Amino acid sequence: MFNSAVRGKLIDGDKSFSQISKEILAPIHAKTPLWWYAAMLVSLGMFGFGLYCKYITISTGIGTWGVNNSVAWGWAIINFVWWIGIGHAGTAFSIFLLILRQKWRTAINRAAEAMTVVAVFCASLFPLLHMGRPWLFFFIFPYPNTRGPLWVNFNSPLFWDFVAISAYLLISASFWYFGMVPDFATIRDTAKSKIKKAVYGFFAFGWTGSSREWLRFEGLSFVLGGIAAVLVVSVHSIVSTDFAVSVQAGWHTTIFPPYFVIGAIFSGFAMVLTLVITMRGLYNMNDFITDRHVDAVCRILIFISLIMGTAYMTEIFIAWYSASEYETYMFFKNRLFGDYAFQFWAMFTANAVIPQLFWFKGVRKRMWIVFIISIIINIGMWFERFNIVVTTLSRDYLPAAWANYSPTYVEVGFFIGTLGMFLAGVLLFFRYIPMIAISELKSVAKFDKPNNGQLKAKSHE
Amino acid sequence: MSKKYILGVFDDEATLVDAFEKLKDKGVMPVEVYTPYPVHEILEGMPIKTRITHAAFFYGLFAALGILGFLTYAAVIDWPLRYGGKPFNAFPSFIVVTIVATILSITLLTLFTFSARAKVFPGKKAEIFHERATDDKFVMVFDEDGIANDSESLKAILTEHGKIEKL
Repeated sequence: MFNSAVRGKLIDGDKSFSQISKEILAPIHAKTPLWWYAAMLVSLGMFGFGLYCKYITISTGIGTWGVNNSVAWGWAIINFVWWIGIGHAGTAFSIFLLILRQKWRTAINRAAEAMTVVAVFCASLFPLLHMGRPWLFFFIFPYPNTRGPLWVNFNSPLFWDFVAISAYLLISASFWYFGMVPDFATIRDTAKSKIKKAVYGFFAFGWTGSSREWLRFEGLSFVLGGIAAVLVVSVHSIVSTDFAVSVQAGWHTTIFPPYFVIGAIFSGFAMVLTLVITMRGLYNMNDFITDRHVDAVCRILIFISLIMGTAYMTEIFIAWYSASEYETYMFFKNRLFGDYAFQFWAMFTANAVIPQLFWFKGVRKRMWIVFIISIIINIGMWFERFNIVVTTLSRDYLPAAWANYSPTYVEVGFFIGTLGMFLAGVLLFFRYIPMIAISELKSVAKFDKPNNGQLKAKSHE
Repeated sequence: MSKKYILGVFDDEATLVDAFEKLKDKGVMPVEVYTPYPVHEILEGMPIKTRITHAAFFYGLFAALGILGFLTYAAVIDWPLRYGGKPFNAFPSFIVVTIVATILSITLLTLFTFSARAKVFPGKKAEIFHERATDDKFVMVFDEDGIANDSESLKAILTEHGKIEKL
């Protein structure tokens, strides 16, 4: 995309390599700003309240939540799916844009991957606590045990989910970390303070940038990139089977895997926008994350938003076309006009209608509007999960089993706690880790130079 | 580092590659090249190769067979249980776990292979030839003994665009 002159430059300001390192590393070497401490205090406060709610959940039990026999899955699952969705963008961003040879990814992928790791970690807490007796969570590992050995049910989507989430957490964290090793080496070699040299030197794992290291590093990126693409698609497909494999109206549909994967990438890209616009604002990274980068993400969001709209329409159409009494009831009575109609229409407006504003250049150019829309999309995607989980469960096949659901403060506090954890993670990332992949950015800097920076007319990917 | 080395230090990729290819035509190879980011002409031109992708393939192959074998053993042979009227060997639903766990195995094993082969691991002390090779300099390292005969032409090529530093 940015290869052609039509699309403009990747880095503004005609920077030298050492300028690139210096400007990206400036926040690490600078004194910690006051707002950082204030923000950290707020997020740790939220995190602390979350810990208190977790304590209540564990010491008293799931009875402190608003879930009941009919709506057995409440905020825990809604927020789990929401965080996992956000956690999909990092890897999707790096991998799909890598496969599509989109060079502008280099300025954003580090932040997106950091977001992934923290978000997946937040997500994994929900099913853990929803187990009720989280200290026995290791029962879900298929390990030789004294109960037979009785193995876990390999046919269960909940087990698939466990495997998928733990694999995703490990893989995205290692993918992120190994991408950072060359940048840690840059910090080690440019830092003045002895402590920084020692600490980042340890995390750099002795990296020197030799051709032997780079050659294998490229091989590693190739392998991880190739298989992580499969992983991104499969993890959220598996999350969707938690729903689709059950025999519930509104869940039991084949559209679910693609619908969930696209939804995950949608919410993740929106969160990436929120994050990089914050980064630009706070750390003056406008030369690296240019308006054109934000513009490109907005264009992707228009496209995904259209797919989301199509998916919503398809669900409604199929509910009518299937002529299933329960399915028709679920959509036409319950979701569209039932007790939770607000959540449905909020979802539809926020995900399918409002992002269409990105068609206008004037909207894409104004960062504060883009920022607000990115937040709206995230709220809309939260409502989508609420809509899927609660409307279906609250209206069972038998009217006798109908029940409504509203969360208690313990559930809300748990969610606020993960928000605090996410914010704290992002703040630590801002402060201690190079926010932009320095070595990757340097490798695309030559595309801004005349003649592609080559002496000879010969180009390599 | 008891040996003597000559460093050719360049400011950008293009001049480095140019000098590298001129030297290669003369039959002079650097011991090692240090760059801030991967330069493909160098990686292809150096007499090194990596089989990490082949290793990854075999890790995947054996992991997939092993995991599928374990699931079948546990669910069919060791403790057969009927779930939802499915056969003991519910092959299609084993595939999901097999794929994801295989991806995990490939990732971890390839990472360890990378760590071992590229010698990048926690606690390793970096052998730094040039402090700015991870920042903005592109450095070719030559063994002074190995290039005794060509040292004049080597110096001429290096100084055309770059600088010579001795260690």
